[in-house]
Amino acid sequence: MNSSLPRTILSTISPYSLAFKRQKLPISTRVSGPVSFPSISSIPSSQKPRIPLFLRPPIFTTSLSDLQKWQQWANNLALSVGSKFVDSDNGPDTNILCREVKWLLEDAVEDKSILCQLVSPENGKLVKLRADLDELYCLWKQRIEERRPFQYIVGCEHWRDLVLSVQEGVLIPRPETELIVDLVSGLVLEEEGLREGIWADLGTGSGAIAIGLARILGDGGRVIATDLSPIAVSIAAFNVKRYDLQDKVEIRQGSWFEPLEDVKGELAGVVSNPPYIPSSQIVGLQAEVGRYEPRLALDGGENGMDDLLHLCEAAALMLKPGGFFAFETNGEKQSKFLLDFMTQKLATNVHNLEAISDFCGIKRFVTGFRR
Amino acid sequence: MEFLRLPATSLGLRPFCLTLADGPSRTSTNLKSITFSLPLSFHSSFSSRKFSTPSQFSPLIQFATPESQSSARVSTETAEWAIQDFYTLRKDVETTIERVKEIRASAGIRQLEEDLTVLEKKAADSSLWGDQAKAQETLISLTDVKDKIKLLTDFKTKVEDAETIVKLTEEMESIDAAFLEEAVNTIRYLNTALDQFELTQLLSGPYDKEGAVIYITAGAGGTDAQDWADMLLRMYVRWGEKQRYKTRVVEKAMGEEAGIKSATIELEGRYAYGYLSGEKGTHRIVRQSPFNAKGLRQTSFSGVEVMPLLREESVDVEIPEEDLEISFSRSGGSGGQNVNKVETAVRIVHIPTGMAVRCTEERTQLANKIKALSRLKAKLLVVAEEQRASEIKEIRGDAVKAEWGQQIRNYVFHPYKLVKDVRTGYETSNITSVMDGELEPFIKSYLKYKYSITAAAGSVR
Repeated sequence: MNSSLPRTILSTISPYSLAFKRQKLPISTRVSGPVSFPSISSIPSSQKPRIPLFLRPPIFTTSLSDLQKWQQWANNLALSVGSKFVDSDNGPDTNILCREVKWLLEDAVEDKSILCQLVSPENGKLVKLRADLDELYCLWKQRIEERRPFQYIVGCEHWRDLVLSVQEGVLIPRPETELIVDLVSGLVLEEEGLREGIWADLGTGSGAIAIGLARILGDGGRVIATDLSPIAVSIAAFNVKRYDLQDKVEIRQGSWFEPLEDVKGELAGVVSNPPYIPSSQIVGLQAEVGRYEPRLALDGGENGMDDLLHLCEAAALMLKPGGFFAFETNGEKQSKFLLDFMTQKLATNVHNLEAISDFCGIKRFVTGFRR
Repeated sequence: MEFLRLPATSLGLRPFCLTLADGPSRTSTNLKSITFSLPLSFHSSFSSRKFSTPSQFSPLIQFATPESQSSARVSTETAEWAIQDFYTLRKDVETTIERVKEIRASAGIRQLEEDLTVLEKKAADSSLWGDQAKAQETLISLTDVKDKIKLLTDFKTKVEDAETIVKLTEEMESIDAAFLEEAVNTIRYLNTALDQFELTQLLSGPYDKEGAVIYITAGAGGTDAQDWADMLLRMYVRWGEKQRYKTRVVEKAMGEEAGIKSATIELEGRYAYGYLSGEKGTHRIVRQSPFNAKGLRQTSFSGVEVMPLLREESVDVEIPEEDLEISFSRSGGSGGQNVNKVETAVRIVHIPTGMAVRCTEERTQLANKIKALSRLKAKLLVVAEEQRASEIKEIRGDAVKAEWGQQIRNYVFHPYKLVKDVRTGYETSNITSVMDGELEPFIKSYLKYKYSITAAAGSVR
């Protein structure tokens, strides 16, 4: 992947981000070992998005009673977990896993209404599936035994009112990040300049924030989404197309602001959920996160703020006067540090700085405006 | 959609096809005016049970007993009337006379007649049309009252016709088959009509015809209570399936060792809420707990809440933002990128009343929040209606707590078997069938009990 980066981008990456990106490249190409599907092991080289389960054609058939057996087996497997994962790395407990069984079924069957007949299935009644029953056994085993994230199993994540395609190589959007769209929606209602302007979502991943923004901006507003990862770029493009937003969201491959030289000083807003976890903490992460999600999207360098600092500095130059920015952080400590940093170093360029809490009361976002 | 019907066997009759000039056809016209389709199929125990007070619920006559069936199955020819058949008929007529009397009393026939006089006076008043809307209202209530009185009068005439036939037969000391068939027919149609009338009376709440949401929570008692909550969940799911409601367990939180901490069931179908509304409250179990090493007798509790399943757009309630406390579940720790758990649960507390709802089944917080809010609104609407409050802000929170937590039913598995409703006094020792969802007798006796209370309150007025 390193060699595939365009030269111009490589040469303009700031020294620190280049350092950590080089260091983690071998890891991001690592294939999650236990996964046995050929389609999955070929991901790093292939940039073609996999179709999420719920969008696949219902070409498989099984009996309702066999599906019920699968459900019982899957629930029993979930029950056997108890609080084991919670105790080891704050992972999911039985309740969450049972809920996932239900959602996996919802995605796998052609007709969801059939699921309420699973309690006492009629003999011989057939049901159409989007995946072979054997594959469902295989997928749920991966979920429990190998801790493969549920969203990679079903190939999608429900986020706000969207259903986004995700797969290995792309960060699964988190519920906290939904708030960024809410923050912006409050602003664009009041300010035409923001509503009809150009917005940038940096490190877009699945395209979640970009699509969320595109749906609240005015007719003249548009979003440019960037990502360094070619997989992310192709998944984001897939999701944008699914919501029919090709005219509104443009995806560019590259690191942070580098593909945006043509709109320098013209942006109405800049948002990002950059990697912010300190490198030393990656090892101790919940298995679903640490083992499967792209390190490129998680690892923020030694103190977790390599990219955040770069974004804060550059946003001050890239935004137009009155432009807005919002970045997600690892919490209180980082938010405070960044606010102090901007107050001291960037006060001539930015103002109205604020740290905003997520729904758990953790100071999750730093926001502000270009003077 | 199944129409409520009285099984033919309940009158000890085989099917027959005698056409009568007057009786049944008149009745069927009346039936049209009160057609009321219900998914429940009614058994004779309903029609034979007494109506007015809870203590009288024990069945006086069980129509559908095997004996009565065999007593009627004498011959396939309508002409042959055995003396037993006549006794059966006489008994049925006597019971129906009582029933008609009770129904007329509980429907407030006297009050209705008084209302009629008042309304007729109003309608005749020349100043009536000064206010168009009010005039319209008066005329509508006049028609309503007239229809009701006509129906109740009809019940009386019909049953008296049947009574006359029985008396005449006794006096003549001979049996005229055609004559008796007419009486049998009348009684049969009458009982169907009375069933329907009762149900229109019983299920007339504003949300009764909606679907229902049942929320079960395990109470104090540890694993035993969680197992008990699971048993209740199964019971209601079975009941729902028997009624052919679209029954879905939308959310279930498992207990640590066994059972469930809580669960939510959605039942789609007409009148689900009307039937289930009386199930809300605390359900108590007494048994030798399988989770108690010493096998001692143990008592556990589970709470059941029932709300109407209202379509989002049909809930017309605005709750001020500041009255709501909305919390989202997210496992502790750093959150954000550090955690990947599909925890989307949302809990909303209505601060003024302290009422809370939780929604976990949807895949995003946004969706759960919308759903939780609509459930909270449904709950507030129901409580407002119960308390006869015209606005949400009139609801008394303390009263809600007391009412919704009231113990309503005991399920004793040991040392004897008994399920007993503490409100109606209705009881059965067939605990297995109750746990299999055989809830109709409990539901119906509660509906009647509730109706008799309301009627009593109404007649005091």
